[in-house]
Amino acid sequence: MSPQRFLSKSESQVPMTAQALVAHVLESGDFYAAVAVHGIADARQRQRLEERLFGSRRDVLMLARWEHTPANVLDALSRLEHMPLARRVVKHRNTGGSTLKHQFSQSDDPALTGLLALHANTPAPLLLQIAMGDHDQVVLKGLARNPSAQPEVLRLLAQRFPRRFDKEIASHTAVPADLLGTLYHRGDKFVRAAVLAHKQVPEAVLLQAAKSTDTLILRALVKHPLLPAALVDALSQHKDNAIRAALATRTDLPVHLSARLALDESDSVRRAVACRADLSPALMQMLAEDHDPWVRQWLGRNAMAGKHVLQKLALDIHEDVRRAVARNPNCPITLLEKLASDHRSWVRAAVAYQPNVTSCLMASLARDSAVDVLSGVAANPHTAPALLKRLVFSEELDVRRGVILNPAAGPDILLPLLQDPYYLHRVMLASGPKLSDQDKWQLRDDPDPRVRFALFQWLAARALRPVADRYFYRRKA
Amino acid sequence: MNTILVVAEHRRGEVRPVTLELITAAQQLKTAADDRVLLAIMGQEAESLASQLQWAGVDEIIACKTRSAEFEPELAEQAVSALIVSRKPIAVLLPHSVDSLGYATAVAVKGGYGYATDVFKLAYDGGALVATRGGYNQKVNVEVDFPGHACAVMTIRGGAFKPVETAAAPLLTVDDRSDLSARSRPLEFIEQGGGGDIDITTVEFIMSIGRGIGEEANVEDFRELADNIDATLCCSRPIADAGWLPKSRQVGQSGKVVSACKLYVAMGISGSIQHMAGMKHVSTIVAVNTDPGASIFTIAKYGIVADIFEIQDELQAQLA
Repeated sequence: MSPQRFLSKSESQVPMTAQALVAHVLESGDFYAAVAVHGIADARQRQRLEERLFGSRRDVLMLARWEHTPANVLDALSRLEHMPLARRVVKHRNTGGSTLKHQFSQSDDPALTGLLALHANTPAPLLLQIAMGDHDQVVLKGLARNPSAQPEVLRLLAQRFPRRFDKEIASHTAVPADLLGTLYHRGDKFVRAAVLAHKQVPEAVLLQAAKSTDTLILRALVKHPLLPAALVDALSQHKDNAIRAALATRTDLPVHLSARLALDESDSVRRAVACRADLSPALMQMLAEDHDPWVRQWLGRNAMAGKHVLQKLALDIHEDVRRAVARNPNCPITLLEKLASDHRSWVRAAVAYQPNVTSCLMASLARDSAVDVLSGVAANPHTAPALLKRLVFSEELDVRRGVILNPAAGPDILLPLLQDPYYLHRVMLASGPKLSDQDKWQLRDDPDPRVRFALFQWLAARALRPVADRYFYRRKA
Repeated sequence: MNTILVVAEHRRGEVRPVTLELITAAQQLKTAADDRVLLAIMGQEAESLASQLQWAGVDEIIACKTRSAEFEPELAEQAVSALIVSRKPIAVLLPHSVDSLGYATAVAVKGGYGYATDVFKLAYDGGALVATRGGYNQKVNVEVDFPGHACAVMTIRGGAFKPVETAAAPLLTVDDRSDLSARSRPLEFIEQGGGGDIDITTVEFIMSIGRGIGEEANVEDFRELADNIDATLCCSRPIADAGWLPKSRQVGQSGKVVSACKLYVAMGISGSIQHMAGMKHVSTIVAVNTDPGASIFTIAKYGIVADIFEIQDELQAQLA
């Protein structure tokens, strides 16, 4: 940690306004804090911040590729005339729509168009413009995959280049239903399978696909909620294991078919059956004795599994099956108590992460030596505050992080962790809501730049909140 | 005639697989038919452990009997130093492991030998031995030679050389070093706690899941898939923090470096710098992510812009 400095009164108080916060950063000259507060600075302050940020070529290049660089800094970078940064800025995931638009208007670089076609923040009109005018197949393929592409873009691509991008278009969430029909009729079996996997697939297409004998088509069809009932029965006897396994996951499967599939010769089918919520006690008992450990494991996780089934599975020879029982949301507390003394730490860890445990059980698990168990105890909201206060000083960093992740850990427990030697823990505290701004302020000179960035980013976001909210926040903390 | 000395590593009565890789590395250093590869194994039970070292490419096994059954750095230092003096090897190859790092530096410094750690390539350049290792956090490869040194001590990175596979019956020599003494002795071995079901630093095929997995039930789907394709399921930090996989399966800065991995399938991992620190050296990385701009694609050999659940579903269907 940084050596202690003599603090004047003004230095030891968190700046409460955006202007004061930026003024502090300008005075300190901290590069990473400057990145964090750039978005809240006024015009004059912003100019001074940019003098600090863009003072060297090395810093500019670093900022253009740093994953945390915010959109406003990227926008400022894109307007630097003496630096060829366009590709880096357009490639950056944080770059905003207006910056991307500006870059497009400034450049005729084909590679840049390709990056714009892929970017999730590219404005819709720009994507449409690319779809209308571009001929580069790589660019257009990227465009067809862009999650921000609008239906008009997809429709235009399907019209301009029939079949060329049909697979990509059929997999896109925004594709209109009528276009899916067109794609199905002109597509090969892979395009058709993609169409059938789409949520918007028209019913007429489903009915047509039901006549298919192709395994790939049927695998896609069997998962669709609107699968015709007659086909459900027929497919339950299909020779393809994957089709029967997918059928076994359907919530509308008739009970007699669940029973039939529970006896299926394929492990993958019985595994799917073991997850079902509508299994009879007799079927559950049968599956609890299945030779495949994965069937028993899935049954152990099944929230509908009865007490007797869980008791049997809790004695299973496979630790993953016993762990599954310990992770079952309806596992009785008596069973959890038994599993808490399992000889395998991974089973005990499952108990430690259980939301249904008692504080007494947590106290017993806190005496464990395994890091997974202690991490679970540290992260569990039922753990007593006194125990958490002890775990804060654990030698295992995973355990200390568990305390930070614990939703019930308050400021009195977390405060010592501001001195944690692992930078990530300080980052988590600086960017989380549990500590007051005043407490966090001691991290302003942290030796790790990521910690300082997290702190000033948090404070900058706070500065943008209405004053009433800020007051409430401080009181709450 | 040149001699190359390999030092075997063992734990709890089992020779560690990395020893087989060192034999291959030593074979690459042979330049003439009469060059010899010596394989030394140290410990109280060295003679019986030698039965696990019957591999082709070894000319002589030296069972170096010491007082301690398990690894003891001071005894290892003294025994290896004595072997170098008596056998005069041009190179001493040790695994790049915690054990070796406990004494290799001392051997090199005290004997005035050349020294390089974490070596992953060995070659001769105009007759001079050249070792290649990573530098600047694996950003560059550094070639190291050893001018003026008759012997070079090198720790070899795990997974860099193919393990020898052919059995043979090399000559066995017993070297009694039970007179050596150390200033300390191990009291007990404490297993690394917490779901230490598998050492992910030694496995070659890893499927790893990240935040994109969404919820715990999905983790089990991928565990099942990994089981079906004989991969070891690992994860990024948020998954281990949530208690969905053991901490021992966490890859990255606060987890482990998967040093022996040759195929790494990253499912729904965006590729934070911290995670990549544990796997970016892997020769074949396959990344699946819905975000084409995800950092993981910058280091992946094969990238799939797709939903991980679609891929998982399709693979399971193929395997069903």
